[in-house]
Amino acid sequence: MTTYTLPKDKLPEFLSALSDYEIWAPVKKGPATLFDRLDDLKDVDLDLENQPVISKKAIFPQNEPLFSYDRKGTVTETDLNAVKNTIVFGIRPCDARSFTLLDPVFEGDVPDPYYRARRSKTALLGIACNDPFVNCFCTSIGGSPFGREGLDLLFIDCGDLFTLEVITETGKEITGKASSLLSPATAESSEQIAQAATDKIKRHIDLTGLPEKLASLFEHPVWKEFASKCIGCGICTYSCPTCYCFDMQDETTLKQGRRVRIWDSCMFPEYTLHASGHNPRATRTERFRNRIYHKFKFNMDNFHSYSCVGCGRCISLCPVNIDLIDYLSRVKETE
Amino acid sequence: MNNPYLPQVAKIIDVKDEAPGERPIKTFKVVLENGNSLNHRPGQCAIIGILGIGESMISIASSPTRKDCLEFSVMRLGTVTSALHECEPGDTISLRGPYGNGFPLDDWKGKNIVTIGGGIGQAPLRPIVQSILDNRSDFGDLTVIYGARSSHDLCFKDELLALEKDGPASVHLSIDAEEPGWNKFVGFVPNNLLEIKPSPENCIAITCGPVVMIKYVIKNLLELGFTDAQIFTTMENRMKCGIGKCGRCNVGHLYICKDGPVFSYDTLKDLPEF
Ligand SMILES: Cc1cc2nc3c(=O)[nH]c(=O)nc-3n(C[C@H](O)[C@H](O)[C@H](O)COP(=O)(O)OP(=O)(O)OC[C@H]3O[C@@H](n4cnc5c(N)ncnc54)[C@H](O)[C@@H]3O)c2cc1C
Ligand code: SF4
Ligand code: FES
Repeated sequence: MTTYTLPKDKLPEFLSALSDYEIWAPVKKGPATLFDRLDDLKDVDLDLENQPVISKKAIFPQNEPLFSYDRKGTVTETDLNAVKNTIVFGIRPCDARSFTLLDPVFEGDVPDPYYRARRSKTALLGIACNDPFVNCFCTSIGGSPFGREGLDLLFIDCGDLFTLEVITETGKEITGKASSLLSPATAESSEQIAQAATDKIKRHIDLTGLPEKLASLFEHPVWKEFASKCIGCGICTYSCPTCYCFDMQDETTLKQGRRVRIWDSCMFPEYTLHASGHNPRATRTERFRNRIYHKFKFNMDNFHSYSCVGCGRCISLCPVNIDLIDYLSRVKETE
Repeated sequence: MNNPYLPQVAKIIDVKDEAPGERPIKTFKVVLENGNSLNHRPGQCAIIGILGIGESMISIASSPTRKDCLEFSVMRLGTVTSALHECEPGDTISLRGPYGNGFPLDDWKGKNIVTIGGGIGQAPLRPIVQSILDNRSDFGDLTVIYGARSSHDLCFKDELLALEKDGPASVHLSIDAEEPGWNKFVGFVPNNLLEIKPSPENCIAITCGPVVMIKYVIKNLLELGFTDAQIFTTMENRMKCGIGKCGRCNVGHLYICKDGPVFSYDTLKDLPEF
């Protein structure tokens, strides 16, 4: 693996060397740090903890026009050739890994052209988490604070400089564009910082046997108890890097309109409401249960992986402190 | 790359008031404007709609053996279906598909077939009946059991009555409550099934209708000696994408839009939420 170093104060120069790309990065916006298109290179804010809105939208936008139409019914497809080569800079390893879990959903038997257009043109430049956050549990679910899965380049914060690990060909191409700013790294490895970071993770759960356990608990009263606190706000799903449910709506003016796809949430009753008034997931008990089953059983049945990367956002952001790890532990103990 | 979200344009060539009941049903005959055929299988659906209003998953109510047009029988319920009910011959609609797995008709060759429908649930069963009529020697006996709330809610009444009279099939219609002039069975479809008692010998039974009806029909079929693998049904859930991506139509780990809507009871009985 090729490794370089980059002095920290050269980061704006590094990013400006990549001006052929559209760059997304964590940007300070008021009290929060949000992933957004980067207009001013100085705005990059690698404050990873304060990132309620996730980088997912760089590839799977929260609102995305699928096509437009006019009154005569002529349909014009959104021009996917116009999607620019993009760099997502400063993404957490867990969020980068989440794209590898979204891929089988959006590819599958019928590939989704919108997702594919962005995904194939987007490079992921991650930053290792030296200081994991209070609810991070990536190491319990196949990830790690220095995880490389899904990334093209990994930045490691080593004080005054970043160490850059080149992971893919795309990563190599990108470092090539800024080579004058980079020096080859000395043999010193990042393993010690990585171990220290992993040791700082406080939350753990042993998921062995969870899908099998869930298979026997579908009708168990425990779901009613779990869901009783939930107010159905949907934050857990909107903040989740592996959630992908969407709705499709038409936005129309007098002359023209467009069909837009919008993030949706399985925590809302309208998500499954039939026109007849029947609702197969009528109460929060069924919706809460479906969310857990989808992530920890159904996704395993379909794609042999959990639909979760352990980022901990659903725990940190839930307004009524529903703690996924506690609940999964309870599931494991339930007979 | 093929874009699965882009609709085609289809022209309505005929609109029929199928059932004027409390929730009216109209049958639309449509042709694709580019002259292409959908190449669908019986039991598959299409997503039809109106640009600016939205789209709905609707069973293709005609068999691929009837090549002149596609038929959709639509019950008026909400936004899209109400807008469709306003349409007239000559209007265009959006159409994408076909979606879903369809019925494994090829596996059923040489067998006796019983369809058991309720209300609008006859729409996905109709292409089975048509396909069998169009390839009569490939199949054994055909029995059509069909009921609705009232005679005003029965779909495809004329053609079923004609089939009952002189067709190479036995037809058993029913309505839920007494009505003047009705001299056929009165009562729920699952009870009519017990009256008719089709033999499970070399037979496949396919049922579609309201969920409660399906559950009782299956119970009664099992009572008559049908095995799980001899029973098929179609399922329904709210849909948007039709291709297993938007997430909402799942039953357990399966998506009705792409893994269904046709399931054998063998598969279904193990799914949570059924
Ligand atoms: C596999 C399948 C086959 C179907 N076949 C037929 C048929 O042959 N004839 C018929 O009349 N109806 C059929 N339906 C039901 C039909 O799709 C709904 O009644 C219709 O979508 C209601 O749309 P709406 O806009 O009028 O209602 P609204 O309540 O305004 O619904 C808004 C939107 O939600 C979605 N939606 C709501 N209810 C359903 C539902 N039950 N199923 C799927 N999507 C829904 C649609 O996208 C709809 O446009 C079928 C449904 C499925 C899943
Ligand atoms: S964030 Fe908490 S309250 Fe909101 S839907 Fe999720 S579990 Fe329920
Ligand atoms: S309709 Fe979108 S997943 Fe089935």
